[in-house]
Amino acid sequence: MNNPPDPHGPTYRLPTPPPPDPTGWYELRRRARATLWPPQDAAWAGLFAAAVVAAGVYGIWFQATLPGRLPSSSDWKAVAAVLARDTRPGDAVALAPPWAERAREILPERLPTRPEASLPVLAYPSYAEGAEDLAGIRRVWLLSLPDAPGGTGRIAAELQARSGAAEGPLRIGQLTLTRFDLRSPLLPLWSLADLLPAARIQGPAVVAREIREVGFLPRDCVVARFAGPHPGTAVVRLPPAPLGVALRGHVGLAGDVSGTGASASVRVMVDGVELGRVEAAASAPAWRTVQIDTSRLPPARHEVALEVVPSGPLPRGVCLDLVALP
Amino acid sequence: MTARRGIALAWGALVLAVTAATSPAVGISRDESVYVEAGASYSRFWREALRDPAHVLAAVDRHYALNHEHPGLAKGLFGLTRTALSDATGLLGEVQGSRAGAWLLAAFLALLLALWGFDLAGPPGGAIAPALFFLVPRNFWHAHPAALDLPVTALVLATTYAFWRSTSASRGRLSTAGWAVASGILFGAALATKHNAWFLPPVLLAAWVLGSYRGRQPGHGPASEGAVGTVRGHRFPWALVAMAGIGPLVLVAAWPWLWHHTVPRIQEWLGYHLHHENYPWMYLGKLLRKPPFPVAYPFVVTALTVPLAILVAMGGGVAQALARVVAAWRGRGPEVSVATEWLLLLSALFPIALIAWPTVPRFGGVKHWMPAMPFLALLGARALVTTGRLLWPARATAVTGVLAFLVLAPAAWQVVHVHPFGTAAWNEIAGGAPGAATMGMQRQFWGEAAVAVLPAVNEHAAPGSRVWFQETTALAAHQYQRDGRLRKDLTVASGPEDADISIWQYHQEFRDREFRTWTEFHVTRPVAGAYLDEVPLAQVYARPGAWR
Repeated sequence: MNNPPDPHGPTYRLPTPPPPDPTGWYELRRRARATLWPPQDAAWAGLFAAAVVAAGVYGIWFQATLPGRLPSSSDWKAVAAVLARDTRPGDAVALAPPWAERAREILPERLPTRPEASLPVLAYPSYAEGAEDLAGIRRVWLLSLPDAPGGTGRIAAELQARSGAAEGPLRIGQLTLTRFDLRSPLLPLWSLADLLPAARIQGPAVVAREIREVGFLPRDCVVARFAGPHPGTAVVRLPPAPLGVALRGHVGLAGDVSGTGASASVRVMVDGVELGRVEAAASAPAWRTVQIDTSRLPPARHEVALEVVPSGPLPRGVCLDLVALP
Repeated sequence: MTARRGIALAWGALVLAVTAATSPAVGISRDESVYVEAGASYSRFWREALRDPAHVLAAVDRHYALNHEHPGLAKGLFGLTRTALSDATGLLGEVQGSRAGAWLLAAFLALLLALWGFDLAGPPGGAIAPALFFLVPRNFWHAHPAALDLPVTALVLATTYAFWRSTSASRGRLSTAGWAVASGILFGAALATKHNAWFLPPVLLAAWVLGSYRGRQPGHGPASEGAVGTVRGHRFPWALVAMAGIGPLVLVAAWPWLWHHTVPRIQEWLGYHLHHENYPWMYLGKLLRKPPFPVAYPFVVTALTVPLAILVAMGGGVAQALARVVAAWRGRGPEVSVATEWLLLLSALFPIALIAWPTVPRFGGVKHWMPAMPFLALLGARALVTTGRLLWPARATAVTGVLAFLVLAPAAWQVVHVHPFGTAAWNEIAGGAPGAATMGMQRQFWGEAAVAVLPAVNEHAAPGSRVWFQETTALAAHQYQRDGRLRKDLTVASGPEDADISIWQYHQEFRDREFRTWTEFHVTRPVAGAYLDEVPLAQVYARPGAWR
């Protein structure tokens, strides 16, 4: 039903008056919106040009500054001189970032004052207590490239967390050197590698001390190599030795594990009794830990044996380490 | 001479001169060492075939069996240039003589890019497009070795260009039919260079089909600015017919290995690549060993290896092409050739998307999708030129020049900085080689970085030392020796056990080789090394007494 016409005639609504704009901000915004939307070709071109200019200027800045963010040969030599002077047995150098392995070429391999003592250069991705034991190391010299792209802070934090004292950082050009004194250094009574020359090897394996890759990292370990498609069990019997409070070891498959379907079961025997077992396999983690509490054993010398049982062909071998903790 | 031809010839000459001048510093990679030997073998075949045509098939089996998993055209060219420049005249060593074939194809690629860039965007387009391609450090590196990736990239570009001319109603010297026949011949040449050319016809067909749909566009736009006399049109793709008919004939003709047992040998060739081994490859801290591989891999690696400003230009070019298609569909782009846009877009994106497929092997890095790069360069060049025209029409060339300078200057700087380690180049987003090493990316390609430590080896190795070259093949070591780059008294060792000197080249998957060397040599300290921005690429270890 239609409504009757309004007897007072049509009504008109006046437009809402614009808000007061004493600063001109609303007008500016209206004009900007009218200019930018819908976007015109020239606006897109301007946006693209701005991105090109920003990327180009950044690229020039990056190329111009990169060499200055990296150490020079004199920086490396100066650091080598400091380390040659100040390191002592039980020290190691850690690299941050870990790829900075030019250090191996520059730094002394042994302490100049004590040639019988080596100065290990470590290039691990992590130094957290659960990740690396750092056996035999009391002090770690962190050698950093602080301005190199990629960042180096995490490693310093991890070392700081397990250190009682730190000294530095000492800035030498584009390198920094910080010394961390480990709060609880892991100083073994003996290691498998130390006792290997006196050990008896039973079974078909060739056993030798080597530095091998496990999970892409170097491991100074005892390698048991097995020939043939159906390798048998090998046993490494160590001479009687004191055990301390614990036996701590690691196992891993040596070398490139691609195409490796086999694994190895490693049993740790003390006086003929199995006290621990760990599996070396291609799956993560590559470097597996076993720890055995020996604090309740009588404080005499005990015979420790490692029994390695491969499940299939392992031509590259199994990497083993074992230490007795005091 | 027209400006178009002048720019193209200048670019061809420049690339030929620069690659020839900078090539000796580039080391020999694993595959190149094989291709150099294969090229020599193939050139011996042609000499024998000319002398004794009656026994040509026996000669085929003798000479073309070497590296028959890849076709013979490019390697035959390497053999030809080696025969002419090294064996016959002694102007160059055997490796550089072989590489001359690759330099010629790089120059051809530059010339084509200049021509097509000119056609798309006028003189600035012709000047900028080749620079956008060759100032990507990895592309620049690939312009040197006697390998197959840049040659097949050049021939894919050439085939696509001929296809474009044949379907866009060219008015140039060749008729559309002539360009169609040229497409067939060039496609055959591409097939006879590397197997990835087989993917070209589906891409061209898809581009043509997509180009047929114009939406609200009243008629087909011109394919170019008129520089080559193109007119509006979207001709039937006779080029695809020619490619189907002529391409296989050229393949067989250019690869004598197929002159008998043709079908079984083609099956063997394709079967080899369909079931190719997956070499390990580092990507974001993980070693890729077997499929499924990350789909993002080629996109991420492209984003981290193409210099940032060039990447922005190329990305802008892709966006512009998409926008032009959409504008044409809406009836707001009468000047747009939808077919050309699709051809450029699909040619630029398909090779990358192909490698993204999770079961396609990942080793080799950017070289496997290098055929995309010329098209990205063309799109990037056009985007820069268009931007100059839109921002300041009266000073368009100057604006484009400034933008091009900002795009190309940092890239040129990087090319100079990283040479000859182009396969280890990473861009500003990655943080260069140091940033990429921190991210856990593949550090280099196979074996070529060893060239940087050869001078130290020559100077310090004890007489008669046995050298373990690892990723550098024994073939490459002997090629270095014959070219006078490596002392002849040094012999090749097969492992650390029988070596006095070990040249460790950083590959994460082979790290055990370095540590076995430490064990065997009783040292952990290298005596020399090659580094890019402090990132180790190769380090030399020596037994005590073997380094003087």
